Amino acid sequence: MEKFLTKALKHPWIVILTVSAITVFFFVKMITNSRMETNLDKYMPQDHPAFVYSDKAEKWFDIKDGIIIALQNKNGVFNYTTLSKIKKLTKELQKMKEIDKNDVTSLYTADNIVGTEDGLDVRAFYKRVPKDSAKLAELRQKVITNNMVYGKLVSKDETVAVVIARIGDNVFTQDFYHRILKLAKKYEGPEKVYVAGRPIVEGTLAYLGPKDMQRMVPIVVIVITLVLFLLLRSAKSTFLTLLVVVLSSIWAFGAMATLNIPIYSVSTMIPVMLIAIGIAYGVHLYSHLFHYMEEHPGISKLDAGKNMLQEMWKPVMMAAVTTMVGFISLLTSQVYPVKYFGIFSAFGVLVAFLLSVLFIPAGIMILGLPKRKKTGSNDEELDPNENRFAYRFADYLIGHKKLVYISTVAIVALSLYGTSKVWINSSFLDKFEKNSEIRKTDRFINEHFGGTSTLNVILEGDRPDAFKEPKVLKTIAKLQDNVVGSLPIVGDAFSLVDFLKRMNKVMHADSAKYDKIPDNQDLIAQYLLLYEMSGDPANLWRVVTEDYKKANLTFQLKSDNSKALKSAIAIIEKYRPEFEKMGVQVNYAGSGYKALVFTDLILEGQISSLALSLVIVIVLLSLMFKKIKIGLIGSIPIIITTFISFGIMGLFGIPLSSTTALISSIAIGIGIDYAVHFIDRYRINAALTHDKIKTSHFTMHHSGKAILFNAIVVIAGFMVLLFSVFPPNRSLGLLVSLNMFTSFVGTLTIMFIILFVSNIYFSRDKKQVQVEEK
Amino acid sequence: MKYKVSMFLLILMAFTLSAFAQEKLTGLQVMQKVYDRPTGNDMEATLTMTLINANGDKRVREIKQFIRDFGKVEKKIMFFVKPADVRNTSFMNWSYDDPNKEDDQWIYLPALKKVKRISSDSKGDYFMGSDFTYDDLGDRKPTDDNHKILREEKLNGEDCYVIESTPKDPDYMYSKTITWVIKGKWIGLQKKFYDEDGDFLKTLNIEKYDKIKGYWIVLRAKMDNVQKKHQTIMELSNVKINIGIPARMFTERMMKRGL
Repeated sequence: MEKFLTKALKHPWIVILTVSAITVFFFVKMITNSRMETNLDKYMPQDHPAFVYSDKAEKWFDIKDGIIIALQNKNGVFNYTTLSKIKKLTKELQKMKEIDKNDVTSLYTADNIVGTEDGLDVRAFYKRVPKDSAKLAELRQKVITNNMVYGKLVSKDETVAVVIARIGDNVFTQDFYHRILKLAKKYEGPEKVYVAGRPIVEGTLAYLGPKDMQRMVPIVVIVITLVLFLLLRSAKSTFLTLLVVVLSSIWAFGAMATLNIPIYSVSTMIPVMLIAIGIAYGVHLYSHLFHYMEEHPGISKLDAGKNMLQEMWKPVMMAAVTTMVGFISLLTSQVYPVKYFGIFSAFGVLVAFLLSVLFIPAGIMILGLPKRKKTGSNDEELDPNENRFAYRFADYLIGHKKLVYISTVAIVALSLYGTSKVWINSSFLDKFEKNSEIRKTDRFINEHFGGTSTLNVILEGDRPDAFKEPKVLKTIAKLQDNVVGSLPIVGDAFSLVDFLKRMNKVMHADSAKYDKIPDNQDLIAQYLLLYEMSGDPANLWRVVTEDYKKANLTFQLKSDNSKALKSAIAIIEKYRPEFEKMGVQVNYAGSGYKALVFTDLILEGQISSLALSLVIVIVLLSLMFKKIKIGLIGSIPIIITTFISFGIMGLFGIPLSSTTALISSIAIGIGIDYAVHFIDRYRINAALTHDKIKTSHFTMHHSGKAILFNAIVVIAGFMVLLFSVFPPNRSLGLLVSLNMFTSFVGTLTIMFIILFVSNIYFSRDKKQVQVEEK
Repeated sequence: MKYKVSMFLLILMAFTLSAFAQEKLTGLQVMQKVYDRPTGNDMEATLTMTLINANGDKRVREIKQFIRDFGKVEKKIMFFVKPADVRNTSFMNWSYDDPNKEDDQWIYLPALKKVKRISSDSKGDYFMGSDFTYDDLGDRKPTDDNHKILREEKLNGEDCYVIESTPKDPDYMYSKTITWVIKGKWIGLQKKFYDEDGDFLKTLNIEKYDKIKGYWIVLRAKMDNVQKKHQTIMELSNVKINIGIPARMFTERMMKRGL
């Protein structure tokens, strides 16, 4: 390896040309063959039982997510213009090729089934829009006496009416999203128009997230460039260090495109990872180079380059290999996008490493050694050796070991407490600002209707006609009332029970006394037949299958966050034994539930892969340094960083989601790098000096400074994201900066101290050590 | 002999006339002939309705039905035989010639022991949860649509007129239908329906018909709704025609009495 690197150093043009050629190849691939995967269903592991079941249930009952368009008229909706708008909007939505005609529901499409003294009356609420006040009043009367629409399609204060368009999983595109918003906007004034529902939230998220990133990433890169330049004080070094990161990102995405793997939203984290990790390689190489040049003024670029490679290729490689292993451990995840994220991040790290040891030396050979601009008086390097800040810092730590131990224990304890408060959130809505348009719309609709989010409970009997049995139906009714009655977050419930109660009431001349499930199973069967004959049977098949063996109970929730879903599920679970006694199985379905399972899966995978990679890292470090102790010591920064990362999330109320969970991978990538560099330098210095204090001084000066530089650069860059308008990107910025910071502090304090007291690399000089300790 | 010759001439004339007339038939006339095709004064039959959903699940309903034409009003009474839990549920429908008069409908649920009137504003309603609307079952008057003969062609070995019908009411649930009418028998052998947006909706196929007591009776019809991926097969058996069903058959009392 070393021979090869030296050879490459002597032929810089070959390296540059080869790298350029490969880069061009990957760049072209990236441009021509990349595609974003926006269908969230594609993210889910298709063979996971929960998803397989939910997909089946979605087919049985035609479960779809709905786009909700609400028209608000402060003077009430029962007037000619608002009613015309409802009709027109309904018709326009029905005509869109993405929407099935039967999937649009509004006051215009609804049937009004009314019971009279001697009969049953099934009519549309209106066909032609009524103009005169008598007819409008009559329509209003019909609406407010029908529970199937009142509070469901028209709000109870009569100022808001909704048109709901249910859409399939695979029809949502950015174009469709914008057309829906445009269409809704046309109906604005004097009515206010609101557009909500899960597809809209997902659409806005898919649109806003990347858009915000596009705006923020250039700023991040500029800030990193500036800070890197301030620290390295060399344009050439800054340029080459950044180029390595940029090229490794291009290669990673190019490789993805070459293999025809689409870009998932988590893949957009790859450049983030590569920036945070890849810059370290350049910084460490240059830091060593500057150090060497300082000690050997007037050295030739070839000799300087040679020395840099000789001394640094091993630690850089060790750091890269362990980081890669950390990412590869993500392959244990059940979620494909996370697996890809792991593979391509690992590939990117490999590229960053190769380019660092090939491209940076080649750059030095061609561009010449970096000339560093000397700055003012506060330059520590001009200070006499003994007074160097790094030395003083090391001395201080050695003198205050207890302080380091106690602070570490305190911080870890606090983090553990924080970790216990971490909560998982699969909500899409919570990713938006509290006072953002989309959250306001959602709140508005939730205030006026049952809720914008749904949870489907799928009941499966072991016999046909199970859901014609009064006992089974009454249990469902009880469950519905219990959940809706005890959880304010659950606004409404809807099932076969509601149809039957309505039919029973209607057939008894609308007497409220009969708003319940009848006791006679034949009567239930006859009501259902009657409904099929007089209403739209398609409505029935959304709550029960035609053999009455399976039923779908839908809860409407005013929030899509995991706490809300789990609170409803907790109550439903209490009814499981009762249902099972009747031979009825309870399961869940729908997009909200899938998101909940999905987030749990990501998290589970993330935690198991973290644990796995920790073990692998300890083994690798032990092998590389041929000491198990080193493996254990080297894992300290990773462990501390991970704990603090989760702790801060808990303390600051940042919920774990698919993106924030992945950030913990960064802890491994960075934590290892720092530890490896520090330990390797410590080992070299120990062999050179046989003096623990000197070793500490030199290591702190050499590696410590490089680590500090690296941390400052990346932290400065990612702090920019704190100004993002998009909360998930803000959390990302905060957590990446935090991870950099804790890795840096952890390596230079507690890990250093433990390394120091462990006496590793000084075992042969035990006597000397003992003397020193006295 | 003379009589025979004149008879021959008469028949010949009738043939040329009818041929001549056939040549000149308009789309409306063809559809009117289908509408007016006599099916007897009364009929008793067993109707088996098979509903098939997108998953291929079948539900079968057996209904005993009695129909009698009283001139200005056609009365129909139906009793469910199967499935067992709806046995003796009955349904009665009086359909009037007067286009301004809505149908009268009653339902009787034996478990409730009450006859209820059903009023419904839409002739577009689906018949008993099937893929047939009442209109599809022959209730729609030819004068409600504009008709155009597109071509003449053979279908299933029968010479047919192919007729396109567009509703006069632009809000009607079909934007157009295309019917293959068998010449001479005046049976709509096949019909394609297009929904209000002009999208293809469903196909009706007459799979079996027979001459019973001199009347052409459709015995099996299948409706295939491609949008809902749902099918309905209607089959008539034990068909008896002109058996003199008494008027008292079509009363609430009979509905309650059951089979």
